[in-house]
Amino acid sequence: MFSDFSRDERTFAFIILGGLVVAGLAMAIAGRGDILGTHGWMVFGLSLIALFGAIRQADRPEPSPERLLEYYDAPTRVGLVLTLIWGVIGMAAGFWVAALLAWPDMTFDVAWLSWGRLRPIHTSGVIFGFGGNALIATSFHVLQRTTRARLPDALSPWFVLLGYNLFCIIAASGYLMGLTQSKEYAEPEWYADIWLVVVWVVYFAIYMRTLARRKEPHIYVANWYYMAFILVVAILHIVNNLAVPVSFGSAKSYSLFAGVQDAMTQWWYGHNAVAFFLTAGFLGMMYYYLPKRANRPIFSYRMSIISFWGITFMYMWAGSHHLHYTALPHWVQTLGMAFSVVLLVPSWASAGNALLTLNGAWHKVRDDAVLRFMALAAIFYGITTFEGSFMAIRAVNSLSHYTDWTIGHVHAGALGWVAMITFGSLYSLVPSMFKRERIYSNTLVEVHFWLALAGTVIYVFAMWNSGVIQGLMWRTYDESGTLTYSFLDSLEAMHPYYIVRAFGGLLFLLGALTALFNVIMTIRMPAKVQPDTGMDLPAEPALQAGE
Amino acid sequence: MFKFHYRLERSALGLVGFIILVASIGGFIEIAPLFTIDETVEEAQDMRVYTPLEVAGRNIFIREGCYACHSQMIRTLRDEVDRYGPYSLAVESQYDHPQLWGSKRTGPDLARLGNKYSDAWHTTHLNNPRDLVPQSKMPAYRWLLRDQLRTDDLGQHLATLRTVGVPYTDDQIANATQDAYGQANPDSPEAGGVAERYGDATNIRPFDGQTDKLTDMDALVAYLQVLGNLTNAAHETQTAEVE
Amino acid sequence: MVFDHDSVVAFSKSFGLIYLVVLSLICLAWTYWPSNKKGFDEAARMPVLEEEDRPWR
Repeated sequence: MFSDFSRDERTFAFIILGGLVVAGLAMAIAGRGDILGTHGWMVFGLSLIALFGAIRQADRPEPSPERLLEYYDAPTRVGLVLTLIWGVIGMAAGFWVAALLAWPDMTFDVAWLSWGRLRPIHTSGVIFGFGGNALIATSFHVLQRTTRARLPDALSPWFVLLGYNLFCIIAASGYLMGLTQSKEYAEPEWYADIWLVVVWVVYFAIYMRTLARRKEPHIYVANWYYMAFILVVAILHIVNNLAVPVSFGSAKSYSLFAGVQDAMTQWWYGHNAVAFFLTAGFLGMMYYYLPKRANRPIFSYRMSIISFWGITFMYMWAGSHHLHYTALPHWVQTLGMAFSVVLLVPSWASAGNALLTLNGAWHKVRDDAVLRFMALAAIFYGITTFEGSFMAIRAVNSLSHYTDWTIGHVHAGALGWVAMITFGSLYSLVPSMFKRERIYSNTLVEVHFWLALAGTVIYVFAMWNSGVIQGLMWRTYDESGTLTYSFLDSLEAMHPYYIVRAFGGLLFLLGALTALFNVIMTIRMPAKVQPDTGMDLPAEPALQAGE
Repeated sequence: MFKFHYRLERSALGLVGFIILVASIGGFIEIAPLFTIDETVEEAQDMRVYTPLEVAGRNIFIREGCYACHSQMIRTLRDEVDRYGPYSLAVESQYDHPQLWGSKRTGPDLARLGNKYSDAWHTTHLNNPRDLVPQSKMPAYRWLLRDQLRTDDLGQHLATLRTVGVPYTDDQIANATQDAYGQANPDSPEAGGVAERYGDATNIRPFDGQTDKLTDMDALVAYLQVLGNLTNAAHETQTAEVE
Repeated sequence: MVFDHDSVVAFSKSFGLIYLVVLSLICLAWTYWPSNKKGFDEAARMPVLEEEDRPWR
């Protein structure tokens, strides 16, 4: 990594790492006796190790100017591996919390092993660790290929990738120590939030600087989605995390908003985190890797643009469907419901566009598990967005809200759409990124595909059943006009489904482990024999083996 | 018109600006009016603020992630009102920074939990739910009875809450630490000031049953016992329609 | 203008609708404007072009 840096970039790297060492030390001193202090020592330690590593490599020769003739893919390579590592961590935590709901005594009197502290490890681990790293890694790749421009420098992509993972580590370790803002999917405390803003600004700058040097005047649509992801997540993140720390020596802060305003802000954030983190970004992935893998241009480029503006415009209004029948004013609920239903149009346009792209290439889908991952992702995207619009209708929501149905819906999207499109893109990207002939084992990809599909279906069906049963039990009256079931009756009815759900999650986790193993083995394979591009080649290149 | 399209397509900054414009207005239109909502929301003259011990308890509730399984928002649906009590009003969480309305009921709603069970029930239940409810799926929070509650910084917590809009007085902020102790130790000299500063309706009891030390359990039970009892507004105005 | 709840809500409801319609029209017009077709068709082929895997300069 460091040998890729120019003289100036090395100086900047030293300044950044030195600044982080000082900042970590300041946090450790200001926050002694507090979680802030623990995090200070972590930042101090990690940046000190990085600083020593940098110093040892400081006198490496500067990279040759010829590097500018190549794309800069090293951060993407590391990002792909980090994606899988966080995926395994997040999914393992998910399996464990699922098991805890079936067998709650596995807390073993250890605070950090309790359900409430592990649950955000699962959610943040998969959304930010797995999803976020996948988006960063692939966005660097797609951005360069579609603009035909190299990343503007070597330092800033590393800053974004490693800085983002520092945020993830601070967040996850904080949860274990009981540090959370309690806002779902925005749990990290104020200093982690500020750090993420810094990282995000650099991320955005990379995008703008690369686009400024692009060859084609037109910006390919995948980049629109990635840019919407970067921009809107920044807006959401900043607004929803506005808070006042108890002191500069305390990790704890109090949200600027309270009550109904806070609820609306939180679900405006929460829903659009789904829209712009888990949808827009991954649609960007889909609009590049699916046509690429199928070797066919996207069915309708214009439809992808209409869907883009539809999604960007309408998702922002839909958040209030999380608050039906609550103390939120009625008109805001109605607005949220209406937009959620209309959202089905751009969502299905995207899903349909993806599937129609595959029309005429279905034999490839049959033979190639990687393409099948992507096709299945598009199908699940269609199913989930339909279900989402349906659940946003007030009458349906009265039954589904607060139940496991919501959990089933989220996982149809998270496992079926987000994870599948990620695995598909990842498998198609890994061999070329690591300059290998092929993936280590196509059989293992096939195994992974079926594990993932089986896991998702089992999980989602278990939660649909338990959610509907739960919702119906809560609202059933007997002839005398009293509620038939106690809450405990409904809880007991959930037990078998919780076991089935944990099993489905285990299958999905095994699939992710297969992927990690397969990718590591691919990296350990010998490199593809590069045809020498020097001057002493015959005019006619010799026939390659296997051609 | 053409010129605009032409530029948007080619200029990355134009695209950026348009995305921000398109994306931000939806949220703004929905959220901005809510900040004038206090004009139309029920007024609750009797609305109390959390005591320092209850604030500490609320923070433990957040720390252990209780909100992920327990909502604090009773919807305007007949079965919810029959099961849990009067539906929740916006005013009841007006001092909740952040709100804990929740999104999932793996366990029951807690909006009207206060004074429904005894302190001893809560202490036993939190220590190991399956001692009282064999089918329960809740973790056993045994460390709550062991861990000493941190109270030295409660004044700062109250001052911060005042910054974001909770009407704590200087007197309440200055005495936060001793009020936290007093509220769980009714026989101590510190107990007198609690009712004086927070009203006679305040629960002043040895919540976890042990008076030799102030534990996380004291704080959490104090918080659970005040849920739904900060104001009587919901019980009074509940002649309105239930869907 | 007085910023009471009712007027803010009224503004949101009316302006929001105009905003929605105007934006949709702009997007649709631009996307389906005949002279824009060529550019879009070229753009669509971007991921599948068999080009050298290196920057253009």
